[in-house]
Amino acid sequence: MTASEFKEYVKANGIKKAAKEVDVVTTGTFGAMCSSGAYINFGHADPPIKMQKIWLDGVPAQAGLAAVDGYIGATALDDTNNVMHGGAHVIEDLVRGKAVRLRATGYGTDCYPRKEIDTYISLRTVNQAVLMNVRNAYQNYAVATNSTAKTLYTYMGKLLPEFGNATFSSAGELSPLMNDPYYRTIGIGTRIFLGGTQGYVMWEGTQFNPGAPRTPNGVPKRPAGTLAVIGDLKQMNPEFLKGLTFTRYGSSLGIGIGVPIPILDEDMARYCAVTNSDILAAVFDYGQPTRSRPVLREVSYAELRSGEINIKGKQVPTSSLSSMYKARQVSEVLKSWILKGEFTIQEPVQSFPKDRPLKTLDVRTEREAV
Amino acid sequence: MKTKVVLTFSPEASNQPITHNLIAKHHLLVNILRAEIDEVGGKMVLELSGKADDIRGGIDYLKANGVGVRPIKEGVRRDDEACTHCGMCVSICPTKALTIDLKTGKVSFNEDKCVACGVCIDACPPRAMEILI
Repeated sequence: MTASEFKEYVKANGIKKAAKEVDVVTTGTFGAMCSSGAYINFGHADPPIKMQKIWLDGVPAQAGLAAVDGYIGATALDDTNNVMHGGAHVIEDLVRGKAVRLRATGYGTDCYPRKEIDTYISLRTVNQAVLMNVRNAYQNYAVATNSTAKTLYTYMGKLLPEFGNATFSSAGELSPLMNDPYYRTIGIGTRIFLGGTQGYVMWEGTQFNPGAPRTPNGVPKRPAGTLAVIGDLKQMNPEFLKGLTFTRYGSSLGIGIGVPIPILDEDMARYCAVTNSDILAAVFDYGQPTRSRPVLREVSYAELRSGEINIKGKQVPTSSLSSMYKARQVSEVLKSWILKGEFTIQEPVQSFPKDRPLKTLDVRTEREAV
Repeated sequence: MKTKVVLTFSPEASNQPITHNLIAKHHLLVNILRAEIDEVGGKMVLELSGKADDIRGGIDYLKANGVGVRPIKEGVRRDDEACTHCGMCVSICPTKALTIDLKTGKVSFNEDKCVACGVCIDACPPRAMEILI
């Protein structure tokens, strides 16, 4: 059953019965996930070119691999910094079946004499097109607000002055890692729902921080675990993959991710019974442009979802950056795949590390870095 | 009855006391929801209350004087295909025209409450909201 259904089931029937009767719980999230992108093998031209610089619809893609492999990042922007059409939008266009202009230059070698190419590609014309995201599906995230006198445009959305609103980003009780807080069933090799097709967890996500402070029931109160995921872009569905624009910040990719969680025992049932009232997040003032902002307060997702929270005596309206509607859709589609036998649960081939300190970037000398 | 209209003015039309005339000559209650003016003309969002005949008369008067009149429903439009129902717009909409249904998770747009202020336009990540005036 879906995570929403499971929570209702536990309320009505208790943990013991739920653990006995339910095999798998499907979770889901759909949100802005910036650390995303796709690698593409364009195929060889005649005469061939060793691509040193690549642009897709004017947006630079990363070369520096072999001759015709490129990686387009979701937040990459063209020379004019057009946030309305970044890498994420190019990826969406490809998934929509559109043709995308490929321009590339090279320095010319004996084996790759061509120095430039200007052509069109689509998912039909390329060899591999693979979505490969290094940090998705954050296990909890911050709540953003703004104490200053002017509107701020951030990756957490438009923040109105004088605590005019507050935004949050996690799907809360539906979110994959909220339902498996200690990564017992999610690890390398876990088969997942990714962008409307089947994908895989390929590694711990970057900035994976299992040591974040947790409530007594194990739910992290700060950003903690993350997933690195991979899947075939050619099979993805624009319903679950969308280019997003954050004004005066940049572009990002909205992706639907769902993870099935097997109810191995009563502990897993207890974890999956977590509700929005049990999950806390910290409210930060994004008016302070520093790495460590003070925590204004902790709030539960139940409060955040209610539409208003109290900050310093003021009732502040709240907005989510991730879509509850789409998160539910993801968990329902995943459930239907499992029921039809189209999707099988894959045990991880390796678990995530239990201990991984989160490091910062400081200006240091060569000696200090060693 | 009540109706909300979006008025657009040429620079010439901006110089007339149109709200005064709507009140004095057409017996309408006028609630100015939004007004702005710049070098290329002006824009005003009004809520007009009064008898149906008076409202019709007032609108005819405006049109006769070179003021563009459109129902508010043509002020802001949502592209339902593009909307992901994230709800980013919900906390910034000053008139609560955008709300989220906690049961279904869907964001709905109530055009009757919208005053075409445009705050939602650049806040919408999938750019589903469009201002037409």
